[in-house]
Amino acid sequence: MPKRVMTRRASDNKYLHKDFHGALSLAIDYLDRNYGEEAVRSYLRQFTRSYYSELIKQIAERGLIALAEHFRQIYEIEGGSASIRLSDTGDELFVEVEQCPAVAHMRRRGFKIARLFVETTKTVDETLCEGTPFECDLLEYDPDTGRSRERFRRSRRGGHE
Amino acid sequence: MIPCTDFIPAYSELFKYLEQTGGKQAVTRLWEFLADTYLDDLRGLVAEHGIRGCWLYWTRALNEEAADFTIELDEEAGEFRIEMHRCPSKGMLIECPGMEPYPDYCLHCDLLYRRVLEPLGYEYTIDLSQCDEARCSVVVRRSVRP
Repeated sequence: MPKRVMTRRASDNKYLHKDFHGALSLAIDYLDRNYGEEAVRSYLRQFTRSYYSELIKQIAERGLIALAEHFRQIYEIEGGSASIRLSDTGDELFVEVEQCPAVAHMRRRGFKIARLFVETTKTVDETLCEGTPFECDLLEYDPDTGRSRERFRRSRRGGHE
Repeated sequence: MIPCTDFIPAYSELFKYLEQTGGKQAVTRLWEFLADTYLDDLRGLVAEHGIRGCWLYWTRALNEEAADFTIELDEEAGEFRIEMHRCPSKGMLIECPGMEPYPDYCLHCDLLYRRVLEPLGYEYTIDLSQCDEARCSVVVRRSVRP
């Protein structure tokens, strides 16, 4: 039996390993069962503040257009079906996801979908608004499909949090 | 939704969070859990195809992760090798502005795959001496032990 050899450079492929959604879901389920709900939210807040710090700065400086660009880029890479609408004034952003690519992939591949997988939307997006003049409301979320409706708008509390 | 392209920083941050919460043991327990749950694909492929299962698993994973790598399969010798010229995960963490990677990030690759492959009768060796440069090498060999 001959030896088989494969060599690839990073530029030979597009970076898209959707099984990572399954790994994240399993990790969230693990955190939930071993450390509790608040640990899941606390971890996601820590991650968001750290990794998305530049995006948070952009939202504070440029407004919701920065967030709209972020979501458009996500769904362009991941596929799925999402509508991202920024109001004419730029003070309201609606994100409606008909089919969540993460949940669809996990269902297809048989990964367990964590009870608190919704927090990767809710907690992450609320944290993206922290320290900015905006707030986020998750209006609808279907845990079976990940279908969701979110509204971002200028904070009713006024000013920065 | 956190896109799968942002998973690696999320993973690294989770290790940091767990270590802050429960020390290194807490991180190790998560890795053991992920080996037992997330790596069912690898376990199933090696159980069904032997050492070729490693080739089947890593050709898909490494291509999807856009890694810079060479892999070799020698079925007669019962050996599979990965030469990771540039690990996309560690590479991303090194380049991530304003974010410190979990210091022992690369150790998860030692624990997870060893925990899957050794019970199936394979020796797993990983050289992480150059992991600070996002390089490593792995050898999986059919175990000679009874």
